[in-house]
Amino acid sequence: MDSLIAAAARALAAGDLLGALNRVALRDDAPALALRGIAMARLGDFARAKTLLKNAARAFGPKEAVARARCLLAEAEIALVSRDLATPAKALDAARATLERHGDRLNAAHARHLEGRRLLLIGRLDDAEAALAAVDPATLPPALRTAHELAAVGIAIRRVRTEEARAALARAGQAAGDADIPALTAEVETAFRVLEAPAARLVGGSGERLLKLKDVEALLASGAVVIDACRYAVRDGRRTTSLATRPVLFALLRALGEAWPDDMGRDALVKSAFRAKEADESHRARLRVEMGRLRAELRPFADIVATKQGFALVPADKRPVAVMAPPVEESHADVLAFLADGESWSSSALALALGASQRTVQRALEELAAAGKVQPYGLGRARRWTTPPLAGFTTTLLLPGPLPGG
Amino acid sequence: MKTSTADILHEYGPFPDVDQVGGVTFDGRHVWFASGDRLNVLDPATGDIVRWHDVAADAGTAFDGTHLFQLIEDRIQKIDPATGRVLSTIPAPGGGSGLAWAEGTLWLGQYRDRRIHQIDPETGAVLRTIDSDRMVTGVTWVDGELWHGTWEGEESEVRHIDPATGEVLERLQMPDGVGVSGLETDGADRFFCGGGNSGRVRAIRRPRRAT
Repeated sequence: MDSLIAAAARALAAGDLLGALNRVALRDDAPALALRGIAMARLGDFARAKTLLKNAARAFGPKEAVARARCLLAEAEIALVSRDLATPAKALDAARATLERHGDRLNAAHARHLEGRRLLLIGRLDDAEAALAAVDPATLPPALRTAHELAAVGIAIRRVRTEEARAALARAGQAAGDADIPALTAEVETAFRVLEAPAARLVGGSGERLLKLKDVEALLASGAVVIDACRYAVRDGRRTTSLATRPVLFALLRALGEAWPDDMGRDALVKSAFRAKEADESHRARLRVEMGRLRAELRPFADIVATKQGFALVPADKRPVAVMAPPVEESHADVLAFLADGESWSSSALALALGASQRTVQRALEELAAAGKVQPYGLGRARRWTTPPLAGFTTTLLLPGPLPGG
Repeated sequence: MKTSTADILHEYGPFPDVDQVGGVTFDGRHVWFASGDRLNVLDPATGDIVRWHDVAADAGTAFDGTHLFQLIEDRIQKIDPATGRVLSTIPAPGGGSGLAWAEGTLWLGQYRDRRIHQIDPETGAVLRTIDSDRMVTGVTWVDGELWHGTWEGEESEVRHIDPATGEVLERLQMPDGVGVSGLETDGADRFFCGGGNSGRVRAIRRPRRAT
C-alpha cells in the first residue's frame, strides 16, 4: 500500500536484504519495523530482529491483527532457531488462531508447523506429530513443505521407523528441488547422512558392532530384550520401560545384560553400579535392595535370579538379550545428542529438553567444554552452547511476509 | 455525511503471475494496474489482461491523457503507455500509496501519514496537503470530487472528501475482508478498485448525483 514498503518487500522476497534495509532503514512505522526485523533475522542478527519485530507488533494498530500475528509468528520462528524454547508456545497459539480467523491459511499452517518443530525439539513426539498432522503438506509452498517433511523425518528417526523416515525424506528432497533453495537441499542431504550414519553400537558377549538406524529397527523388531543405553531404557518391539531417572538401576541392568547369558558376580556389580572399590557387607545389602527394585521394573521383559556368584538376567520366553549403546561412548552423551544438530542452545532450553535441572546441565556443559566438545558464546543469560557444525539438522528461516493487504 | 455499502458490479481476476494489485488507472478503454514488477493492461469488457509492460510498479498509478505516472519506491516515473519506456522521474519524498492526475497536477496519497499531497508533475514539489483521519490508499478525482480509498486491517472504504477541509462527505463501505488499494474512476458511474493481495480488480458503482 506504500511504495517504499512495497519496494522493500519486493527486495526482501528477491533475497536483496541490503536493498530492503536501504529503503526502510530510517523509518519507524510498523510495517517498516517489521521488514527491518525480518531482514535482520535473515542476516542472522536474531537479537536485533526480535526487538524490531516486538516493536512492530506493538506499533500495528488495533485493526491490524493479521499484521501483528505475522510479527509474532516471525518472532516465534526466530525463537525456535535460537533455541529459546521456553517462551513462544502461548503467543504462537494465539497468533495462529488470529491468522485462521482471518483466512490467512498459509501462515496459520506455518504457525502449526513451527509448533510441531518446537515440540519435536523438546521431545514431545506425540504432540509434535499431532501438530504436524493438522497441516496438509499439499497446500504448502515448496520451501515450507520441505521443512514440514523434514520434521516428519525427525519424528520417524526418533521413533526408529526407517521406512517412514525414508519416504518423508524422499518427499522432502522433491519439495526442496521445487523450492530451489540450496540451503534446504543441503538440509535434506544432511538428514540423509544422519539416516545412513551409525545410530548405535551393539555391545555384549559376542563382541561389538555398529548399527545403522535400520539395524536398530530390525533389532527392536526381532523380539530381543534390548537394553538401550542411548535412552536409559529397556525395550522390545512393543514396550518400553524408561530408567532414565534411575541411573543405578540402569547401570546394574546394563552390567547384567553385558554378562548375559552368564551371571555376574556381586563384587563386579557393586563396582559397576555403586562405583565402590571394594564391596563390603553394606554394599551387598544395598545390592539386594536395588536388585529387588530392578526386578519390579523389569517384570514384563525379564526376571533376575540369584546365583551362587551373584545375579543373572533371565529374559521372558527365552528371548535373546542385547545391549545397545551410543556409537561412541561418552560422558554426557545425552547433552551432546541435542547439541549435535549444530544449533546453539541455552542451558535452560537444554534443561527443559532433557528434563534435568539447569545446574546439572550447566555442569555437564562445562565438562564438555573443557574437553573441547562444545563451545559457549555470549555471557550471562545470553550464553549459548553449540558444537562445531558437522552433522545434523540446521534450520532455514522461512519467515512470513509481515504485511497485510497490498 | 452519507454512508452506504459499496455495490460491487464486477470482479476481475485473479490473474496468472499477479500476487498483488497496487495502483489502478483508466485510459478511457483499458484499466491499467500495477503488480510489483509489471504494469498490466486489463480489458474491462472481457476481463483479460491484453498486454503488460515489465516495469517496477510498487503502488499508485495515474494517467494524464497521454502518459502514465507510476510510483516506485520514493519516486514517480512518467511512462509512455505504448512502449513502457520511462520518460522522466520526479521525487516523491517518503514514497506514497495512491496516485491521481487532476487539474494539471498529481495527487499523492501517503498511507501511514494519513494525508494527500498535491504535487507539481514537473518537479515533485508539494503544492499543498490535505489531511485525512484514515490511512490513505488510492486517490482519484471525478467531476470535481476527490475520492480516496482507506484500508486498515480488515476494514476498507472508498471516501469522498472535501479537498479544501478534508471533511468526509460520503463513505462507501467494502464488505469485510475486501480491501481497496488503488482507486480510479471511468469518468462515468464506476470506480475500479485494486484488491491488494487478493490479486483482483473490482468495479464498484459510483453513487448517482442529484441533478
